[in-house]
Amino acid sequence: MKNCISKPINRVDAPAKISGKAKYIGDIHFENQLFAKTVRSARAKAKIVSIKTPTLPDDYYIIDKNDIPGINRMRTVVSDHPIFAEDEVNYIGQPILLVVGPEREKIYEIVSQIKIKYKDEAAIYNLEEAEVKKAVFTEYSYSKGEPKATFQHAERIIEDEYRTGRQEHIYLEPQGITGDYKDGCMYIYGSLQCPFYIEGAIQDVLGWDSDRIRIIQSTTGGAFGGKEEFPSLMACQVAVASIKTKRPVKMIYDRDEDIICSTKRHPSIVRYKAGLNKNNEVVALDIDIKFDAGAYSELSPVVLQRGMFSATGVYNFPNLKVRGRNFMTNNVPSGAFRGFGAPQTIFSTEMLMHNIAVKLGTNPLDYKIRHLLKRGYPTCTSGKIRDEVKLPEIIEKVEKMSWYRRKIGKHKKFKGVGLSLFLHGCGFTGKGEATIKGKIILKKNGDTVTLKVSSVEMGQGAETCLRKIVAHTLSLPMKKVICETIDTGLIPNSGPTVASRTIMIVGGLLRQASLELKDRWNDANEIEISKTYKHPDFLSWDDDKFEGDAYPTYSWGTNVAEIEIDPVTYEIDVKKITAVYDVGVPIDEKTLEGQIQGGIVQGIGWATIEVMNSPKGKLTQHNLTDYKIPTSMDVPEIECEFIENPYEFGPFGAKCAGELPFVGAPPAVAAAVSNAMSVPIRNIPITPEYLMELDKHED
Amino acid sequence: MKIEFVLNDKKQVIQVDPASRLLDILRDDFELTSVKEGCGEGECGACVVLMDDKAVNSCLIPVGNIEGRHIVTMESFRKTERYKVIEESFLEAGSVQCGFCTPGIVMSTESLLRENPKPGDNEIRDALSGNLCRCTGYNMIIKGVKLAATRGKGLW
Amino acid sequence: MVDGFRPADLQEALEFRARHPSIPIAGGTDLMVQKARGFGLKPDFNKPLLFIGHLRKLRQISVRDGNIHIGAGVLLSELIINDKISEALKMAVRQMASPPSRNLATIGGNICNASPAGDTLPYLYAVDAKLILKSVSSERIIHIGKFITDPKQNTLEHDELLTEIIIPNKIFNVSYYKKVGQRKGMSLTKASFQGLADIKNSNVLDIRIAFGSVAPIIVRSREIEASIIGKPVSEINAAVPEILKKYATLIRPIDDARSSAAYRKRVSLRLLEDFLSKLS
Repeated sequence: MKNCISKPINRVDAPAKISGKAKYIGDIHFENQLFAKTVRSARAKAKIVSIKTPTLPDDYYIIDKNDIPGINRMRTVVSDHPIFAEDEVNYIGQPILLVVGPEREKIYEIVSQIKIKYKDEAAIYNLEEAEVKKAVFTEYSYSKGEPKATFQHAERIIEDEYRTGRQEHIYLEPQGITGDYKDGCMYIYGSLQCPFYIEGAIQDVLGWDSDRIRIIQSTTGGAFGGKEEFPSLMACQVAVASIKTKRPVKMIYDRDEDIICSTKRHPSIVRYKAGLNKNNEVVALDIDIKFDAGAYSELSPVVLQRGMFSATGVYNFPNLKVRGRNFMTNNVPSGAFRGFGAPQTIFSTEMLMHNIAVKLGTNPLDYKIRHLLKRGYPTCTSGKIRDEVKLPEIIEKVEKMSWYRRKIGKHKKFKGVGLSLFLHGCGFTGKGEATIKGKIILKKNGDTVTLKVSSVEMGQGAETCLRKIVAHTLSLPMKKVICETIDTGLIPNSGPTVASRTIMIVGGLLRQASLELKDRWNDANEIEISKTYKHPDFLSWDDDKFEGDAYPTYSWGTNVAEIEIDPVTYEIDVKKITAVYDVGVPIDEKTLEGQIQGGIVQGIGWATIEVMNSPKGKLTQHNLTDYKIPTSMDVPEIECEFIENPYEFGPFGAKCAGELPFVGAPPAVAAAVSNAMSVPIRNIPITPEYLMELDKHED
Repeated sequence: MKIEFVLNDKKQVIQVDPASRLLDILRDDFELTSVKEGCGEGECGACVVLMDDKAVNSCLIPVGNIEGRHIVTMESFRKTERYKVIEESFLEAGSVQCGFCTPGIVMSTESLLRENPKPGDNEIRDALSGNLCRCTGYNMIIKGVKLAATRGKGLW
Repeated sequence: MVDGFRPADLQEALEFRARHPSIPIAGGTDLMVQKARGFGLKPDFNKPLLFIGHLRKLRQISVRDGNIHIGAGVLLSELIINDKISEALKMAVRQMASPPSRNLATIGGNICNASPAGDTLPYLYAVDAKLILKSVSSERIIHIGKFITDPKQNTLEHDELLTEIIIPNKIFNVSYYKKVGQRKGMSLTKASFQGLADIKNSNVLDIRIAFGSVAPIIVRSREIEASIIGKPVSEINAAVPEILKKYATLIRPIDDARSSAAYRKRVSLRLLEDFLSKLS
């Protein structure tokens, strides 16, 4: 029976959005506002020899590194990205200075008159070159069991290599931030995911305490990770500009600029050496993961970690060695993007398992089933799978819905079916949650309850779901439970809106607080309860050895993709995706379906049509004419179901869900293409150009 | 150039460089911020408005072309009965996530339903093919449009 | 300087054209993108705009002497619903851009833009469409292949306007069109193929073959077509390798942001092969 929390309700933020009343940052007029335009590096790697600027008319300003009172670096995991370039640039699009003023036309005229002289230096344009030049930002490794000895005694060794491409978020609302320095305080407004990340970044750049800094979110038109760390950079720039001009400074990117300079999903190469025993099971696996981090490291180390800890997928490989490296290239920096490193390694491992099975002449699903993780098994980092793994039920259900086995048995050229199995670690990696110690406040005032959190609504449905958790617990109507404005002056730091942690971690704290408030409801008219996250004692993690529980628990899923390929043009038509997930208990089935539908389509885009090349550090596809995301005509029928598996520490048993659907679609589609064409697929995006090359020998 | 046109049922006369984009005139001069800019090259559909009842990309229209035309944005369309049906249907079908594409999609929906009050699945997909959405994956929007067509029987 | 002019009728438009250097603009869907400079900024036109999209004379579709005359200002969305327009042209137009753009864009604009990826062009080349170019003092009718000379280049004189497109009266009973884009909805063309044929009593009475997006201008060869005309369909299969070989020398695509030269060439020839295989 379905849990009654899951019953869908209408989203609270939707009416204002449908009617066009919702105000995004570009829609908000600030009295006396100035506009800002960024002058960017035209070179992939160069020393700046000189910058010649024209005489500025009144009310026009140039803002650069010299205007920064504090540290000229954006605070993040590795604070290496300069707010404004100093004497060198490391990628095309790197910000050098701002031109600020009241009229956009005039600003553009000034920008066109600025002459920058560069002295070019040897640049690194891709992973292969970076490896040769040993340009490594970070390198990690971990192992389990006896990989070396097992390889020595393996019956068979299979080596293979997989590649995934760069991906751009294409949130429909381009990046935009306004900084307003007023009465000695800095107010930052904008489209953002992580208000307290920005607060920290501004502190560094201005050298101020947080009590003079307010970060206020405007309606955010999609993010997908793209507004995790990047808005900090823009916020620091406009903050400095606002102090210098003593006016609000607004910076809205247009699409080309946004694509050229914002972060991307890390391109990857993953190499495998698999040792098989006499039953042809993979008993030893060596995984070598390479990510193109771009010109600055920023939060790439954590992206790599998630990639490494997800690299074994849903499988138990008793002997394992995983090495991960982030390489420095002179490409636009890679950063956070839905799945955060996991989609790359899960794709690769799923395809490795698929391709080995096909090579052995086995049904890929049967082959995968022989390796599945179960409750009580060690995780890849020698932690423990503590909760029931309902993969058998998930597989049974998807089989009933899709007839996968029957369809794969009736193989026809140019028609294919493929299946993926996948998981996603819930919440932050390793000690992340224990470090952040998310805090929430619940405040009762009469018959109304206000929840104060820093988890933002950015399209995913956070506001509806968090309010629903509280309203449901307190048996209040939704309208009696409201969210405090996302304004760092009014809310506690419950952590950033990332890592599919909002429902499980922040929602979990709200659930605890609501239960407590329920007990005390009649004590007073006004009651305030605050809760701070406590990492469960049974979880252990060694950050040096990468040993222990990388995640408190996991969500699981399977996708079956059915595709057809045009025999003349090799265009892929994804016909249907059938999906089954265990996300614990859905907090709202409709909101969750929205995440699933959208995540799958974004995953199909990455797997098929989203091509973003960067030869010589310059993006070939830098507008929506050339970089294509799926349209309404490109999406398949998507059928999804859930298997309930309540998680003890999640609100109403909920686990993570936002990133999971993205992870599963690419390997399912790739497996289906492989099935249709009888060729192993090792790279995404699977373009018709790539397929034609693979199929060449057929003609 | 002097341009006379009807904007949200009100006659307007403006003196303007006729090469200016209708999108900028609507957002900057008339403060009609339901009209969004997502790409500026007719690819995303966030700026779609109605011109003589048909969906058009306002970023592609030089204002010299709107002489005598009737432009409608969400600011007036949201007062109609038909809008209410679309809003309810989109709410129920879960057609909205971040919302940035939504006003443009509502405009395309209105344009479609005026031409074809009983659209089939493929007709809806074609009608919305100029409106990019990165959040929903579209199927729940298609469902919303279908629901609106059924519920609003007789309104279009 | 005048920044633009909205003539009351075609005559006034031609008079303005004769007196001023100008950029004729109809729907604006190509020009506004080519001249765009960013959010909130005016597109950068270096000459006054001559607005012609509203001119009634350019908005008509009529049949004269059996030929179809399409006004240059007819919208793509109007072509799709007009019963005088052939299914073959409609098929190409339905796959162009998206409904909100098709409600603005005109057939004349697609021709004058002279992009090798212009999606009405393979059809218009294949049917030997002719264009009426008018000035105050003259009128000339030229074959579309003579009008477009290079990517983005046409032979429109500074005082002329494209007013009509003439589709000759000719029936083809086999029609094959394929646009290869990056995705199904709203996409620019990587490669396109238009095949038309008139088959009677198992003989090829006429055949037209045009390729889009695979050379600086649309590829069509009367010589190769002539070598097929008159053949019984039963002999086409045997001739396919030779036909492909001949076209292979004419198809000279490039690598760009949307596809590769190798793919474009190969897929074009495969489409041709597929078309030819459907004749017998």
